Amino acid sequence: MSIRVNPMFIDDLVRYGAEDVQLCYQCGDCSTVCPHADEVYKFPRKSMRLLQMGLEQKLETTLEPWLCYYCGQCSEQCPREADPGETMMSLRRWLISRYDFTGIARQFFRSRTTEIIAILITAVLTGTFLLIYGFSGGNINVYDGEGAFLPSPFIHKFDLSVGAILVVFLVINAIRMWYLVMIKGTPFDVPWWIYIKQFYQLPWHFFTQKRYAECEKKREHAVYMPWIIHLGLMLGYVTMLILVMVYIEQLQAGPEIRWQVHIFGYLATIGLSIGTIYFIRSRFKKHYIQYKKSHGTDWVFVVLLFIIVVTGIAQHIFHRTGLPEMANTTYVVHLMSVVPWLLRMPFSKWAHLIYRPLAMYFAAIRRDALVRQFSIINSNPLVVK
Amino acid sequence: MRTGVFFCQTDDSRNLNIDAIAKYSANLPEVETVQILRLKPLPDLRFLSDQITKYSLGRIVIAGDIPGYYKPVFTRAMAMTGGNTDEIRLASFQEYGAKGENAMDRAKAIVACAAMGVPFPLAAVPGGNPVNHATLIIGGGIAGIQSALEIANAGKQVFLVEQTGTIGGHMAMFDKTFPTLDCAACILTPKMVSVGQHEMIRLLTRSKVVAVSGKPGSYRVKIRQSARFVDVKSCVACNQCSEVCPVKVKSEFDAGISLRKAIYIPFPQAVPNAYLVDEKSCTFILSEGKKCGVCVKKCPKECINLNETDHILDIEVGNIILATGYEFLDVSKIEQYGYGVFPNVLTSIEFERLTNASGTTGGRIVTKTKRFNKKTEKDEWIFSPEGVPPRSVALIHCVGSRNKKFNPYCSRVCCMYSLKFAHLIKEKVPNVNVYEFYIDMRAFGKGYEEFAERIKQEGTFIIRGHSASVEMNNDQMVVKGEDIFNDKLVEFQVDMVVLAVGLIPTPGTEELSRMLGIQRDSDGWFSELDYNGSPTDTDKGGIYVAGMCQAPKDIPDTVAQASAVAAGVLGSLTSGKGVGHMSSLTLSEIEAKAKTIHSI
Repeated sequence: MSIRVNPMFIDDLVRYGAEDVQLCYQCGDCSTVCPHADEVYKFPRKSMRLLQMGLEQKLETTLEPWLCYYCGQCSEQCPREADPGETMMSLRRWLISRYDFTGIARQFFRSRTTEIIAILITAVLTGTFLLIYGFSGGNINVYDGEGAFLPSPFIHKFDLSVGAILVVFLVINAIRMWYLVMIKGTPFDVPWWIYIKQFYQLPWHFFTQKRYAECEKKREHAVYMPWIIHLGLMLGYVTMLILVMVYIEQLQAGPEIRWQVHIFGYLATIGLSIGTIYFIRSRFKKHYIQYKKSHGTDWVFVVLLFIIVVTGIAQHIFHRTGLPEMANTTYVVHLMSVVPWLLRMPFSKWAHLIYRPLAMYFAAIRRDALVRQFSIINSNPLVVK
Repeated sequence: MRTGVFFCQTDDSRNLNIDAIAKYSANLPEVETVQILRLKPLPDLRFLSDQITKYSLGRIVIAGDIPGYYKPVFTRAMAMTGGNTDEIRLASFQEYGAKGENAMDRAKAIVACAAMGVPFPLAAVPGGNPVNHATLIIGGGIAGIQSALEIANAGKQVFLVEQTGTIGGHMAMFDKTFPTLDCAACILTPKMVSVGQHEMIRLLTRSKVVAVSGKPGSYRVKIRQSARFVDVKSCVACNQCSEVCPVKVKSEFDAGISLRKAIYIPFPQAVPNAYLVDEKSCTFILSEGKKCGVCVKKCPKECINLNETDHILDIEVGNIILATGYEFLDVSKIEQYGYGVFPNVLTSIEFERLTNASGTTGGRIVTKTKRFNKKTEKDEWIFSPEGVPPRSVALIHCVGSRNKKFNPYCSRVCCMYSLKFAHLIKEKVPNVNVYEFYIDMRAFGKGYEEFAERIKQEGTFIIRGHSASVEMNNDQMVVKGEDIFNDKLVEFQVDMVVLAVGLIPTPGTEELSRMLGIQRDSDGWFSELDYNGSPTDTDKGGIYVAGMCQAPKDIPDTVAQASAVAAGVLGSLTSGKGVGHMSSLTLSEIEAKAKTIHSI
């Protein structure tokens, strides 16, 4: 099978953030220091090489970019300052746009303006719709219950429809990822039972992000802060998503919020606020190598999330202190940022929430299948005479 | 002759104002037309021939960075119109160095010379100043020795200034030379002895140039000669003083892997073959004469005088040769290799001394052994001849070289000497595994590629991939790397690691360049006048560079360059006329000179 070479690929990837790939002279220092590189998955040097050679079709079937958590040791070590860590990050962005069948992700990653305009349009549309709905049937001075400006059953339906759109896109993209990785990119048989055997990888990596913690191996700190904070942010996010999608009526209710909902809500808020503040601060201070370069989408990600968190908290406070008018206004602003955020999910950095555990799952399957393949070859020697 | 000046492409980094140069050249005599061509990619032939007929041009000047590239088109245009194709003159800004401070004046001069049909070097190189027949050579390594012998053998006086107690430099420390595996000392020591005995060479060891004044052809140089504390003429190197000396310090000649006394001889074949006292460690000198002094009493020839002082020499020379050599990068800065932390991680020069037959282990390649030091009450790792030979050795190329954080340039000799090390280890230690980690194998010289092939066939594991880490696992060193050709991550247990350390200019280079007004390049080496055309000259008249101080190079290249320098010096001495500073002539002077040559 021949592979088509795309000589412009390396230039194309500049838009995704990889600027210095051409500098790499293949010394392999990065693969040596990487705590995650092993016998089967060797990176970042190999990915850099594929990139330099323009093997786009080969790269889109690789899992290596997803196995990197960007601890930055490779970039610190690199004698050519070719920034392999940032290259792996850019490849992840590129892969997201590759898995996305609509081509929207590609537009967003390549142009920050397009992304911001799309977000603004969605926000304005959402705001207009909510205001029209609110003023037609409700009173801005009522937050909850009878005659509420934005009654919770309506918000529930609204959330669910936004969520449904999101799920449709994500599922299709995940299937595309599976096709690229496991069908196109795995040139040997993968028996079905390996899929079942390795299935535990999916929840395990989703909820622990254990490999992120392993980035710590060679560092002196007792706890790897980015991992803890990232985990907190992710768990807070998922908790809040479940609360909003399923328990919105209890969450939005008046003084009698159920304590279970309350506790989970507060925990999620703590995780989200610490996470967003930490990552925004790091991106400003640039004191770790992984925050030295920030792509436009990285900023949109943290800033939008920060606005959502702040408006969410403000709305809660206004509601609890008895300022329904203010609460309703912030609620509209909150939803104006939440809707573009959710709709943007499958086309943005956010999608790594799904792709990363999937990649770990696929990587484990591929590794098992490879071992099995070798054992088959070794136990059945080709007898010529 | 009616002349037309055509400006072609110029590199923006030269900061030349082409419009100003064009205006200037319009006022030159006989210039009929000045045109700035927008060349894409070559000028139109018909257009050019039209211009030639329109102005009836007899001579064409092509000005720009690479005018030679455009010459064929102009030649054809000239031939089409029936003109003389010999009258196409090139004004190359690149070739004649129109850059830096007075780039504009130089560029104007280049165009003026071309327009008058005068070769630029003829008008612009200041010359004709009388030259003093003595030559000063700074640095007594192989480059300095070679130049000194070449010049002295032609019967001219040479002052050879060397900072340490002996000449020989780094080459004296080496065991074998690549690729022939000749013994380095066998090549070098006869030359050193000739230098020591030559009637035309005045050898000044332990000396430093402190001030230089004067003009090309007659430089006045002030040299500070530090006290040797031992009379060179009467010392017979009997070693009795060294036996009684109580002070022990690390030997510079042995790259710090063995100890020497405070009164010592660097190595047995040193020239001058006399002992010297290290004033930084001698108890007598440090206590200002209150303690010790046993060597003075012991010396049978009574040639030790510990109260000797430095003296200053004033000499006048016509030419100066810089041959100051190189130093090694401080490899403890590159933390991942664990140099200074793990005992058996060595630099290349340390290994060179270890494997040398005159070294501390007598040429046996062994790992370090632990020994209890009674004075400091600490364990220390030393080389002893009874040490255990290594079972496996890793050689890591490009340590600090080709690395943007340390030396961006290639040190040029490391690939070859690492291959040589692999051979020496294989030869001296039975059943040893040698792993070479390289990025690109630079075997560029005569016989080098064959040498590399030979080492591969000897059974050395040559791994394409740079090792980035040396770690210690349960008292066993582990070298990790990526074997790129075999697509594997590798991990080898080794007993010894040799780092091919990058080379840097000597610390005194900066001071010397300031004193002499010589430019240095971005990496700190001395700048030559022109990389291709005159690689041994500098932009100062009568000052030359030879050997490593210009850029890293191997021994054959160093010797060749040293001889080339000697040819340049002898040329000026025999003609009696030297070259002045390259930038000393002003634009009007060059113009006037060109006019005189033109009128002849």
